[in-house]
Amino acid sequence: MRSDPSDTGGLFVGRRPGTAPTHFRRLPQRGSASRQRLDGYLAAAMLAGMIVLSVLCWGPIPIACLWVGSQVDYHTGSVSLGIVVAFVALFVLLFGSLRLMRTLDEAWILVRRAAGHDQRSGALGRVFATTAAICVGVFSVWFVLIHGTGQMVESGNAK
Amino acid sequence: MSLRDYYRQFEGLSEEEFNLQLAEEAAERRRKALTRVERVDLSQTTRADLPHANIANAITFAARRGLQLYPYLRGSALRNELAERHGVPPARLILGNGAAELLSAATRALIEPGQKLLTTWPSYPLFPIMARRAHGQAVPVSGGVQELLRAAGEHGTRVVALASPNDPTGELLGVQELRALLEGLPDGVAVLLDEALVEFVDAQPPDASLELLEGHPGLLIFRSFSKAWGMAGLRIGYAIGGPGSEELLAELEPDLGVNELSQAGALEAVRRATGLLAEHVRAVAVERARLTGALRRRGFEVADSQANFLWVAHPDLNGAELAARLERAAVLVAAGDALGEPQHIRIAIGTPAVSDRLLTALDGALGGSGPGGQDTPAGAHDGTGPGGQDTPAGAHDGTGPGGQDTPAGAHDGAGPGGQDTPAGAHDGTGPGGQDIPA
Repeated sequence: MRSDPSDTGGLFVGRRPGTAPTHFRRLPQRGSASRQRLDGYLAAAMLAGMIVLSVLCWGPIPIACLWVGSQVDYHTGSVSLGIVVAFVALFVLLFGSLRLMRTLDEAWILVRRAAGHDQRSGALGRVFATTAAICVGVFSVWFVLIHGTGQMVESGNAK
Repeated sequence: MSLRDYYRQFEGLSEEEFNLQLAEEAAERRRKALTRVERVDLSQTTRADLPHANIANAITFAARRGLQLYPYLRGSALRNELAERHGVPPARLILGNGAAELLSAATRALIEPGQKLLTTWPSYPLFPIMARRAHGQAVPVSGGVQELLRAAGEHGTRVVALASPNDPTGELLGVQELRALLEGLPDGVAVLLDEALVEFVDAQPPDASLELLEGHPGLLIFRSFSKAWGMAGLRIGYAIGGPGSEELLAELEPDLGVNELSQAGALEAVRRATGLLAEHVRAVAVERARLTGALRRRGFEVADSQANFLWVAHPDLNGAELAARLERAAVLVAAGDALGEPQHIRIAIGTPAVSDRLLTALDGALGGSGPGGQDTPAGAHDGTGPGGQDTPAGAHDGTGPGGQDTPAGAHDGAGPGGQDTPAGAHDGTGPGGQDIPA
């Protein structure tokens, strides 16, 4: 059904997007209350895992790739090879992490439902956006206030 | 259930999967609807189609005008209209709550306890019942006018009750035969002629018998709006008598008049729906001839009907068995066993599509394998004929031999005074297969 406002000229035809009830193949048999509680903890842990992975994408993984590239440069003496290796490693690790997060997100939806929540969509988008905002903010603070932009400029001019 | 399966059961369907599931369900519903065979009810002698909207409007208008007065205080435009149409003075025409009630009233008024009511048999099952209610004796007579005259010569005969066209045979008592009967009857014997189905007659003018009223004061003719007019639910009919019958007719008339709404509907029909009536009657006559021929070609014995049904028998197949086989093919007919004619069935005339469906079912029934497995074309019935109507619950629930809606009380006792009444007419199970108004 085309119910997105961008598809319908701003008019909702039928339900608002994202508000449709979840249709199951058959009625799910929920576990006991303790199992649902356990599923709640499991879902929280999975969300935490997604946050960690997402944070890794905004700092540690690029830095690690640059370090690997520099090591290649150091050992081979080839800057180009170091850059290529750094980019390949960055590409593989970033997309691997995203794939892993997506799988985690899908599993998180099921676990949340098993925990008794009416979970209709995943949290990946919000996690990624939130961690991005935080990481960019932290980087900006470090770059502008702690490290400082002028030092690089001044040191460059001093040569 | 494994851990993986436990969590997989919470997996929702995607929109495509869900839409596919909906489409499959819709296709299944469509398939079932197309393969469902609508039941065709040919056991009723009433019309299947609705009365014209103007009739309903006239009834509504009468209701809104106010129902606070007794109908007789308003006068009766319907009575005057009918009298004018039939060319009789209004005093010789009375309205009643259906022809059946007027027939019963006439029998009660005429018959003294112990006196006899003669009727041909098989015929309208109400005749023996109304004789019993009047504490008289019903004497069924097999044969025609001569047999009736012979039986009427016996002591104690007071009334001859006849239906023309006869239900369930559909045979017409021609005006010449009626004249012979009237002229041959002893003095003091009245003839009650039930012409509830006379509108369907095409062998003679529908009002031919009215001409006999002038010379035969013992003749009373009863007509109804229940059959060809299609207003059985209104319960309205009328009786016409000859010169000198005014006093008797006044005695038969309902004490405070006939339901005003019924009169309004009937008056509207008489004034403005005669064209529709003629059209319906013509259609029935055409289909009656076609179906009669088709049945005879299949080896059935079919009485010459002038009504909106056929009285049919097969030489090798019992009527009840044939009706049961047809019912398995979702075609209901009235079995004749309750009328003392177990070999017969009564089949109402429907639309051409309904007749085709009937013939297909009959071919299946005679094929030996039973009609249940035949390929009855879905949608053969077009919904305009007798089939396709919503038969009231319980009307065909197996409580009556013919699956008819025989009102309680219409057959509430033993036979008509120990006479030699045909089996099944009043055997305590009720004359199923007939429409007996309460």
